[in-house]
Amino acid sequence: MMFRVPRSAFRVLAALWRLNLAEELQYRANFVASVLGTVFWIGTALLTLALFFRHTTRLGGWDYWEVVVLLGVFNALTGVIEAVLRPGIGRLASEVRNGGLDLVLAKPVDAQGFVSFRRLDVWHLTDVVLGLGLAGYALSRLGRVPGVLQLAAFVVALAAAGIVVYAIWVALMSLAFWFVSVENLSVLFDAVYEGARYPVTAYPGALRFVFVYLLPIAWTTTIPTSALTGRLGPEIAVAAAAVAALAFVLARLLWRAALRRYTGASG
Amino acid sequence: MPPAITAEQLSKTFRVKVRDPGLRGALEALLRPRYRDVHAVREVTFRIDPGEIVAFLGPNGAGKTTTLKMLAGLLYPTSGRVEVAGFVPWGGGPEFKRRIALVLGNRQQLVWDLPPEETFLLNRAIYEIAPAAYRERLAELVTLLELGDVLDKPVRQLSLGERMKCELAAALLHHPPILFLDEPTLGLDVTAQEAIRRFLTEYRDRHGATVLLTSHYMQDVTALARRVLIINRGRLLYDGALDALVARIARTKRLELVLGGDDGVTAEALAAFGEVKSFRFPNAVLEVPREEAAATSARLLAALPVADLSIEDPPIEDVIRQAFTRGVQEDDS
Repeated sequence: MMFRVPRSAFRVLAALWRLNLAEELQYRANFVASVLGTVFWIGTALLTLALFFRHTTRLGGWDYWEVVVLLGVFNALTGVIEAVLRPGIGRLASEVRNGGLDLVLAKPVDAQGFVSFRRLDVWHLTDVVLGLGLAGYALSRLGRVPGVLQLAAFVVALAAAGIVVYAIWVALMSLAFWFVSVENLSVLFDAVYEGARYPVTAYPGALRFVFVYLLPIAWTTTIPTSALTGRLGPEIAVAAAAVAALAFVLARLLWRAALRRYTGASG
Repeated sequence: MPPAITAEQLSKTFRVKVRDPGLRGALEALLRPRYRDVHAVREVTFRIDPGEIVAFLGPNGAGKTTTLKMLAGLLYPTSGRVEVAGFVPWGGGPEFKRRIALVLGNRQQLVWDLPPEETFLLNRAIYEIAPAAYRERLAELVTLLELGDVLDKPVRQLSLGERMKCELAAALLHHPPILFLDEPTLGLDVTAQEAIRRFLTEYRDRHGATVLLTSHYMQDVTALARRVLIINRGRLLYDGALDALVARIARTKRLELVLGGDDGVTAEALAAFGEVKSFRFPNAVLEVPREEAAATSARLLAALPVADLSIEDPPIEDVIRQAFTRGVQEDDS
């Protein structure tokens, strides 16, 4: 029952996103700004990386183009975050405070689903395209052509990465119900997610443990990239899917507890 | 017919953090948080029949909105029983929510940068309204609310009154049998207020909807609701007809006079008959004890050159204020 998605949910999503599209089309400049922003961001990131690699040939055991593949994956996920999560569930904290959430709770929809996916800022999806393009280019520079199985593992691991990122957002935002006065929980996410810009092997052991098992950001960029470059075998996709499922369930449970608190059901 | 809304011994207690003012208070609250119970709603019991329009009156913080939220399923009661449209609100899920509308005068669901019709289409999807039914209901709401030339303008360009009308339309497209309206006329000018009142009455008459509304505007209450619930500090003080409340609470009547002849009558002369509320020749308003109203009128007519005299209840605002300050005793007249 917990994961039953009624068919009407897709109609609601379609209506929501149609609405966003109509809204966004009024501001075409956003598109230009978004593309420029991404290009500059990637440029700076590559430059930083290039500077770093002048002094070494390895970063956590990865060479330059491998890290660039990871950068591409990172950028693609950032696109999903900026297009869907930040403008959607990212607004939750302020809505808990000003009571805007009440109108959502009064509707016959799943509040978590509605709050999470109510927005689609399409321009940010260019980040996804540019990120995957960068990953593809870097892969060709590595001279590795992934096989079908590898590619499939990458797709699964990337989808799992998206779910893990989503679960982290839900978990963080659920905190808003307890700490109503926390102004900007999304900054907390940014701080943690910064760690996903480099392969987890680059971090000291303790931090690596945290990123793999506690704050599972290793599963957002390092694992999909490793699946694509062949650093890890395709069977890692199974583990990624399991991690994603677990993260999703935990986030959902936390959300429910948070909502019970909001409505005063937990006493 | 079973009641549309039943509340029995409904109570809600919030636990709130207390802190002393200033930096020291803030630090103390951080290290040793202290809590205090706030009894927002205490043992409130009432029933509302289908098709009734009932007004919920009370000063700010009296517990009106908290009660409304419990009825709409947004808050769990601390104790007591609620049934709305045959459902226990917080367990009713989507089926229950399809049967209610919640309009909050200080929040909006309309998308700011788009015409209101875009929000209507979203609600069509959310409430799974069939296209034919949607067109028919929208047409009806557009007529009743006079929204014809508003539908295709971005919401940000609409006046406050137009916006509230659109909020109502968005909230009623799924034809809920139960309407919870929290301050639906907040901040509106007189014309817009009247339009909303006319609409609500008409909508109730057409569809038999049950309406529970809160409002600060007494005109809303007198025009819409024959029955009022008065709540103060979480307790229900009065449940009944508005005119019965006036009869019960108002210990006075107002004698409104139009004096004839020359301006020979002085305020002192009038003061002998009752408390002079206002006097500006030739109009005067006297307040007299309720049971003496008839006798005093007769004496006035005999003693002074009175061209016209009418006996009125004091303004409803005064009556309500008295109810808040003095409470409503069972036998007060």
